[in-house]
Amino acid sequence: MLSERLGKELLYFDGGMGTLLQSKGLKPGELPEVWNLTHADELVDVHRQYFEAGSDIVLTNTFGANALKFHDSKYGLKEIVDAAVRNVKKAAALGVRDGREIYTALDVGPTGKLLKPMGDLGFEAAYEAFREVMRYGEEAGADLIHIETMSDTYEVKAAVLAAKENTNLPVTVTMIFDEKGKLLTGGDVPSVIAMLEGLRVDALGVNCGMGPKQMLPIVKEMMKYSSVPVIVKPNAGLPKQRDGEVYYDVSPEEFADTMEKVLEEGACVIGGCCGTTPDHIRAMTQMADRRPVHPPAAKEDTIVSSYGKAVVLSRKPVIVGERINPTGKKKFKQALKEHDIDYILKEGITQQDSGAHILDVNVGLPDIDEASLMQEVITELQSVTSLPLQIDTVDIKAMEAAMRIYNGKPMINSVNGKKESMDAVFPLIQKYGGVVVALTLDEEGIPATAEGRVKIAGKIINEAGKYGIPKKDIVVDVLTMTISSEPGSAQITLDALKGVRKKYGVCTILGVSNISFGLPCRPVINANFYTMALQNGLSAGIINPSSEDMMRSYHSFCALMNYDKNCEEYIRYYAGQTGTVAAGPKAALGQQAGTPGLSLKTAIERGLKEEAYHAAAELSKTQEPLEIINQYLIPALDAVGKGFEKGTVFLPQLLMSADAAKIAFAVLKDVLEKKGGETEKKDKIILATVKGDIHDIGKNIVKVLLENYSFDVIDLGKDVPPEVIAACAVKEDVRLVGLSALMTTTVVSMEDTIRLLRREKPDCKIMVGGAVLNQEYADMIGADFYGKDAMQSVYYAQEIFAKQN
Amino acid sequence: MDRRTKEAVRYLGYGNHAVDDGTLALIGDSFDELDQTAGRRIVYRIFDVLFQSGGCMEIGGFPVTSKDLGKNLRGCESVVVLGATLGPETDLLMRRYSLTDMAKTVVLQACGAAMLEEYLDEQQEEIRQEAAKQGLYVRPRFSPGYGDLSIRYQEMILRMLDAPKRIGLSMTDGNMLTPTKSVTALMGLSRQNIACHIRGCEACNKTDCMFRRS
Repeated sequence: MLSERLGKELLYFDGGMGTLLQSKGLKPGELPEVWNLTHADELVDVHRQYFEAGSDIVLTNTFGANALKFHDSKYGLKEIVDAAVRNVKKAAALGVRDGREIYTALDVGPTGKLLKPMGDLGFEAAYEAFREVMRYGEEAGADLIHIETMSDTYEVKAAVLAAKENTNLPVTVTMIFDEKGKLLTGGDVPSVIAMLEGLRVDALGVNCGMGPKQMLPIVKEMMKYSSVPVIVKPNAGLPKQRDGEVYYDVSPEEFADTMEKVLEEGACVIGGCCGTTPDHIRAMTQMADRRPVHPPAAKEDTIVSSYGKAVVLSRKPVIVGERINPTGKKKFKQALKEHDIDYILKEGITQQDSGAHILDVNVGLPDIDEASLMQEVITELQSVTSLPLQIDTVDIKAMEAAMRIYNGKPMINSVNGKKESMDAVFPLIQKYGGVVVALTLDEEGIPATAEGRVKIAGKIINEAGKYGIPKKDIVVDVLTMTISSEPGSAQITLDALKGVRKKYGVCTILGVSNISFGLPCRPVINANFYTMALQNGLSAGIINPSSEDMMRSYHSFCALMNYDKNCEEYIRYYAGQTGTVAAGPKAALGQQAGTPGLSLKTAIERGLKEEAYHAAAELSKTQEPLEIINQYLIPALDAVGKGFEKGTVFLPQLLMSADAAKIAFAVLKDVLEKKGGETEKKDKIILATVKGDIHDIGKNIVKVLLENYSFDVIDLGKDVPPEVIAACAVKEDVRLVGLSALMTTTVVSMEDTIRLLRREKPDCKIMVGGAVLNQEYADMIGADFYGKDAMQSVYYAQEIFAKQN
Repeated sequence: MDRRTKEAVRYLGYGNHAVDDGTLALIGDSFDELDQTAGRRIVYRIFDVLFQSGGCMEIGGFPVTSKDLGKNLRGCESVVVLGATLGPETDLLMRRYSLTDMAKTVVLQACGAAMLEEYLDEQQEEIRQEAAKQGLYVRPRFSPGYGDLSIRYQEMILRMLDAPKRIGLSMTDGNMLTPTKSVTALMGLSRQNIACHIRGCEACNKTDCMFRRS
């Protein structure tokens, strides 16, 4: 059995395939997988040579064999996979003469497409593509699935899940790194390893991209983080070109020499990739000579990751941003109800800018489909921030849905000592991977003593072990109680914190601000308790990173405890500041205002955000908000719009003014709400970039301007199918839809959308815009209006609603 | 004003108008940020070209039909096929700003385009010097979407270059390159030094374009 040998004895993969097939006549761009059927003898020959050279694991020639790549092939995928497995087995019968146990690995490469949100391939669509080929592979008799040359953690997650959920085969994964140790999609070694170990792959490693020499530092880094056997499959050097041909020039001897160093680093499975030949593999196996391997030691680091970043919870504490949570936040609740995803994303970005390392995500509200909303928010957040996320929910369905589509190894909030909770949560951690927050409460409630809480932590850690979940993936929360109602509780929490650290050596987490509930001037208590908790071993505080008090505690603690080298961070934050505490971000904005007395109109016309904020706030002391809007705001916007039309104001200026106006509007809206005034019911407009189109900057420009003119924009995003747009128009009874397309190929989707809208919502007007469009084109596809620039769509919208209202 | 700043200003639609200080500051910030975050990756290979009749040709064995490309490549014996990208980091940066600062977003967009062109110019210069050693001259870059060269050739180009694997450059079902700040192009190699200094913009027959280089 392969899984019993992995990591216990040295095993050899085969070497390159593409280069050998090219020398046998395969053209660049031709699908090599078809050769399994058309040139079976050549393939058997290559495989046989690798077996003869000593390979234990030989890959099928199925690197690109997936439904997505094979849309233009006349051969069926099943047929190809069957033949590919058959070719390896046949070669084994011919080439293995020493009776050693060998394995046919189903080779699975990337789809060649970029996954959403950067590309247009959905996560589940990628999963389906992998599932199909993997099922065929198992049916055909493959012994393992080897997923390789992956440069995207998200795609590899889809592939591993497809393998695990649809086959019983061992799964090994190697990824392609560049010389800086990064994936093409930005991930680094620890983030990749954290995710793959979480997904419970049998071995992991690196292949392709570079030669063995360049790979050494990456192998070294992998050994530092990996607890599972490491695979190393380099190219025969870096690719070079001569007469238009790509070639690799590391000789078999040189290859073998460097692979010896790779073995010394601790690799357990070795082989070759592009440009390596049976000669390279023979030299390598002769050099290695089945020497004993040292299985990788289990690593103790607690790591959470996103696609691009790993956060290691170690002695230096980290900050978990608490703001994406509706509890006690009226505006946030409203945003959730109105499906205002942008609002949530901005909360994320603000926290990142304020210094958060991880973002807690809680979108739970009664009467909300939490699973689907959680998935949406996680996906969208991961398209604007590379911070790892903490999935915070009590709804197990939502938890699983989010863990499935999360790109990386998430933090999970939470499990507790109740049997029911552990039975539900641990299987998910076991399957998808994750670092889980363990609350020290159980069927008996929250223990009133530190010892009681420490004991429950032990129970949870013990139970997790039964699922194969290591201690490093548990972060204990000993619970913060409110001191105003439970005097003495702070001391218990601090003692428990120290207790779990000492007894189990696990990382800890606390929701800090609970401590001050019901007390005046809460930040004072919060910040001091935070410092005390840090001093007692808190690894991760769930706090508001925009709170200056909390951040002062954090930065001071790190500087004092020598976690901040040369106090660099501290100096960066506080150089030039005096000792007084600013009263929040808005006040800070006001303090910086440059030219006092600058009128609101001028501020907007010049696109000065801070001045616009200040001027609006000043004016609102003496004038009614609606008056201010009509007297200053709208005329300023009109003037800028006119200038844009005349060609005296340009797009960046138009947008700077729009952003300034937006800030002024927000000030006035706050004033209105405080006075209890009704904000006007606004006219709804749908905006969408049509299906197949992933460029949304034009649509976003139009959105900002329409919002300036008080329209209620329903932004459906990019790559939006016609049915979604039509359904939304019907449901929300929308009377104007704006569609954007960049290229000729996507104008077709625009036409489809218009046709569907005419049928489903005949009273709805449609305006179109985008680089490729003109009046003639717009007429041809049946649009009501062509907007040659963003201002035109504003004028058209005003015209439509003036008529209708 | 350096070349890439000038180009960014042009992409922002200023034409011959003077650029305002606010925008100029945004351009400076955007280039700084891009210099820090953007990836710059390129892959290229050289293929033989065979001309047939009626704008048809074969590049590396792949059939291509385009009269305009045919004109551009006239007299060439081979073609440099290339793909380049600023990577997903750049897309992420623009998405992030599109939530909070649209002015910055459009400026980043323009600066990204200018940066990509500058990068391609540098790479092209290296290719030119290499080619010169073999007595070959390099023609201006020609990309799918120029003239009558269909953007459907993106798929062929990406496949010829193994671009998804080599530089993480792929495309959507609608033939759009992903990451978005990416380019594919063809550059002819010929023995004759034909004066052909037309660069992208001037080769286009949309003469009323507001972004046209004057």
